[in-house]
Amino acid sequence: MQRPRIEVDSLDKSYGPVNALVNVTLQVGSGTVLGVLGHNGAGKTTLIDVLATRTRPTRGRAAVCGWDVVKSGHQVRKHIGMTGQFVALDDAMSGYANLVLIARLLGASTRQARARADELIDTFGLVEAADRRPVTYSGGMRRRLDLAASLIGRPEVLFLDEPTTGLDPISRSEVWTLVEKLAVDGTTVILTTQDLMEAERLANDIVVLAAGNIVASGTPEQLKAGLGQRTATVTFANPMAMYSAVAVFAGLGMSPVPNEALCSVNGSIPAPGDIATLVRALDAADLEIQNLTVTEPTLNDVYVALHRSGWKPG
Amino acid sequence: MSRHSADTRRRETSVLNQALAAAGPTRSGSRQQWRGTGFGTQVWVLTGRSVRTAFGDFKLVFFGLLQPVVLLLLFSQVFKSVGTLPGVVTYQSYINFLMPATLINVAMTTAMSSGIGLMAEVYTGFVGRLRAMPISMFAVLLARTLSDAIRLTVQLVVIVIAAVAFLGFRPGTVLGLTEALLLTVVVGWGVGWVFVAIVTWQRKAEVVQAISFIVMFPLMFASSAYMPVDSMPTWIRFLARGNPLTYAIDATRALALGRPVGWSIVWALSLVTATALLGGTAAARNFRRAS
Repeated sequence: MQRPRIEVDSLDKSYGPVNALVNVTLQVGSGTVLGVLGHNGAGKTTLIDVLATRTRPTRGRAAVCGWDVVKSGHQVRKHIGMTGQFVALDDAMSGYANLVLIARLLGASTRQARARADELIDTFGLVEAADRRPVTYSGGMRRRLDLAASLIGRPEVLFLDEPTTGLDPISRSEVWTLVEKLAVDGTTVILTTQDLMEAERLANDIVVLAAGNIVASGTPEQLKAGLGQRTATVTFANPMAMYSAVAVFAGLGMSPVPNEALCSVNGSIPAPGDIATLVRALDAADLEIQNLTVTEPTLNDVYVALHRSGWKPG
Repeated sequence: MSRHSADTRRRETSVLNQALAAAGPTRSGSRQQWRGTGFGTQVWVLTGRSVRTAFGDFKLVFFGLLQPVVLLLLFSQVFKSVGTLPGVVTYQSYINFLMPATLINVAMTTAMSSGIGLMAEVYTGFVGRLRAMPISMFAVLLARTLSDAIRLTVQLVVIVIAAVAFLGFRPGTVLGLTEALLLTVVVGWGVGWVFVAIVTWQRKAEVVQAISFIVMFPLMFASSAYMPVDSMPTWIRFLARGNPLTYAIDATRALALGRPVGWSIVWALSLVTATALLGGTAAARNFRRAS
């Protein structure tokens, strides 16, 4: 069995009296996108900083690609790429020169560095701007160049700290496509984000941090299923059928809520298979269904539920 | 740097989706991964970057070269009467006495700008990227000070040419002048570590600037730079004789003017080495990845 690319065990990080991370334990495999969610100050960036060896944990252990982040920080840095919350480029050099510089520092020869920079400039649609300084770029272009810089060494683990903050919808979508492709190619991506839609689209696994603690973790489906809020809305041809259906819903324990204006009944669906059970029961009661809509809970619902629970682990 | 023409490679932003494979990481054996390089290469690449940055900005180059010339012009005129003092009169003119000290002054100014330049990089976040890369943080600092030493060399050559051409400075021998310039560069490089250490200790620009001036002005003025030490009030004379820069200035002056150097060069090099070691150690300690 392949060893996880990232292993975190009972990790604590304190800044004086402030506990930024508390007993964090997680594992992330190859080709996985781990979404790290949480409000501002929840510990997301601290977790990335520890894993990227930019800060040391107070207690516990973390390893990236099998290398301990404290004992073998230099080895860890050989295998990672990082795009922080703020674009980290040299504004005194052109975008192209920035990429060449980073490639050279990673060990590429001058020829290789130039070839790689050309490749990434093409890839990220920055050909027109390549010879300009990043300070003249738009926010989206700067973010793309920053991402390109993180990918120069073809890292096995990529840390993206709120990578789409401030991007327009097109640029954001392009970053999403890139992350998906990277994951398919085997890169492990740790993605912190405030954008729940982004997490829902990209993340295979999710952890939710609050005050440095993991308060929820699992796949998006598991988190949403844990909320138990999948609902079915069935529309009928007449009010008589609607009222009959209420009894059927109730008989299946689906907490029916009739809507006389729409001539429909709304009920909770505990498990995906229960939809078929409902349809069969309505059919057996000779109630003609005009429309059936199943509404899944979103990560937003999960997040709101966690917030309402006072960020207590579920 | 060679690069395909932008005109021939015009592409739309949506090209991203067509070329994503280039960004991919690992699976193809033909796609080379780089995992870092040696300390020497890191220093070489980062020094080259800083030098290109320093000389790539016309305004920075122009005013950087103009500043010492203006300083020399001002001091040579304002303090002209110092040339009649007993300890100076043997130098034929005040410019001969002043010029070597101005070289050291320029070295000090450049040393201070080493720290300011490093601070700018920390602010832009570029250093943050370097911290997550497999490179030595000491290489970043060393490259910074080396590139400033190269910039200082160019400044010194320009100011010497200006002083000879327009202000009547008359060095002893070309060899002696070259040795004086080399010593000045070494002094500037060594003292630069102190300012780099200050920046890595206190990262607030206003505080750094205040500390830097507190360090720089007493060192320059309580020394043999502008006046003979013997003509100073007793307590300043005491300070000046304990000031490492006095030895550096005396040695530079003696080398540049072809006079006997004595022990001042030994003291100067010893003190600069000690300063560089102390400053470098403190800077490296402060600048290492956060704990």
